[in-house]
Amino acid sequence: MDAEKIQELLFRYNSGQAGADEIKELETLIADGFVQLEDIEGFERIEGNILAMETPEPSSSLNNRFYQMLREEKKTTASTDWRASFNWNNLIPRFAFAALTLLVGLGVGYLLRSPAQKEQQIETLSHEISELKEMMMLSMLEKESATDRLKAVNLTQGMDQASIKVTAALLQALNNDENVNVRLAALDALKPFTKDSQIREALIRSIANQKSPLVQVAMAELMVALQEKAAVGELQKLLKDSETPSDIKEKIQESIKVI
Amino acid sequence: MEALSDNALMIKVRDGHLDTLGLLFARYKKPLFGFFYGMNKDVDLSEDLVQNVFYRILKYRYLFRGEGDFKTWMFHIARNVNHDNFRKNKLRHKDPIENWQDRLGTEDNRLSEFKKDDELHLLSVAMEKLPEDKREILLLSKYQDKKYKEIGEILGCSEGAVKVKVFRALQELKAVYTELEKYN
Repeated sequence: MDAEKIQELLFRYNSGQAGADEIKELETLIADGFVQLEDIEGFERIEGNILAMETPEPSSSLNNRFYQMLREEKKTTASTDWRASFNWNNLIPRFAFAALTLLVGLGVGYLLRSPAQKEQQIETLSHEISELKEMMMLSMLEKESATDRLKAVNLTQGMDQASIKVTAALLQALNNDENVNVRLAALDALKPFTKDSQIREALIRSIANQKSPLVQVAMAELMVALQEKAAVGELQKLLKDSETPSDIKEKIQESIKVI
Repeated sequence: MEALSDNALMIKVRDGHLDTLGLLFARYKKPLFGFFYGMNKDVDLSEDLVQNVFYRILKYRYLFRGEGDFKTWMFHIARNVNHDNFRKNKLRHKDPIENWQDRLGTEDNRLSEFKKDDELHLLSVAMEKLPEDKREILLLSKYQDKKYKEIGEILGCSEGAVKVKVFRALQELKAVYTELEKYN
C-alpha cells in the first residue's frame, strides 16, 4: 500500500468513518510497522497521560517485609551450603587433589632442597679438613725431622685460603729453618699468597737474611715474577755481601735489570 | 561511575550474593507496585504482589541465565503473579466492568470530584473500566517504556501482535474516556 492510501485510511479512521474491514487493514499496517501508534489521533496524548498517571507510594512495610524475606533466604541458603559441603561425592575429589598437591609440593621441596644441603655439608666438611690440615701442619713444623717439616710445608698446597697462623709459620720456616729444602718449600708454599701485601713485604725483608744461594736465586726469580720494585734495595744488599757467590751475584744483577 | 546493569546484579544474586537483590528491589519496587496498583487499585494487595515477585525471583534465581533483559524477566514473573492472584480471587475480580461505577463514588459527589480532579483522574477511571488484558498491555507498555519486542517476550507473541494489542487497548480506552467526558 502506498503512502497516499495509508494517509487516506488514517484520515478515515481518525474522523471515525472507517469500517471494520478498514480497521482490520489498519491493524495489519500497524503490525507491519507501516503505521505508528502515534500517527493515530489522540493516542500520543493518552499514552502521555498514562505515563503521567501517578500511583501511590508503597509503604515502608514493603521494605521491611522484603528485607525480612532476604534474611530468611540467606539463613536457609547458608544452612544448605553447610550440609552440601559434607557431601562425600564432592569432597573425595577435593581431598584427592589436596593430597596430590601436598605430595607434589613435598617432592619439589625435596628436590630443590637436597643439593643445597649437600653443598652445605661438603662446605662444612672441607672447612673442617682444612682446619685439621692447618693444625697438623703447625704441629709438624715443630718437629725435629726435616722430612716432617717438609711434609708440613707441603700440606699447605691444598689450601685455598690460609690463615694468618699458617702464613706466619711458613714465613718463620723460610727465615729460620736450618734445612735449605724446607726453606725452599716454604718459599714455594708462600707463592699462592703473594697477593697479600703484608706477605710480599715479609718476603722482601727475608731476602737479605738468606744465606743459601739456592734460596737467594729462588727469591730473586720470585721477585721478577712479581715485578716487585721494592725488592731491588734488598737484592742490592745481597750484591754487596761478600759471602754471596759471584755466579749468584750475576743472576741477581740480571733480575734487578728485569725488575 | 555507571551503575551496574540489572543483569550484572541479577547474576550476582544468582551466584549467591543475595544482598545484591536489595539494589534491584530499590530500582523496581515502584514500577512493579505501579503495575499491580494499575491492575487492582489496592495498595495492600499490590504490596503483597510485589513481595511475591521478589520471592519468586529469589526462589528461581538459578533460572536466570543473563541472556535476556532482567526487567523483561521480572515483568514476566509479575504477570504470572498477577494471574495467579486473579485466579485465586476470582470472585473479587469477577466483573470489574460492572464494579467500576461504585469506585466513582456516589451521584452527589461524582460531579464535584470530576471538577476538582484533572483529566488524569478521568483516565484512571477509564483504565479501570478496561478489561483486564487491555489494562495489562497498557501498563506493560508504560513500565516497559514501549519496548514492544520485550513485551512480546513477556506475553509470548510477536512485536507486531503487541502493537495491535496496544492499538486495540488504546482504541477502547479512548472510547471509554470520551464516553466519560460526555457523561461528565
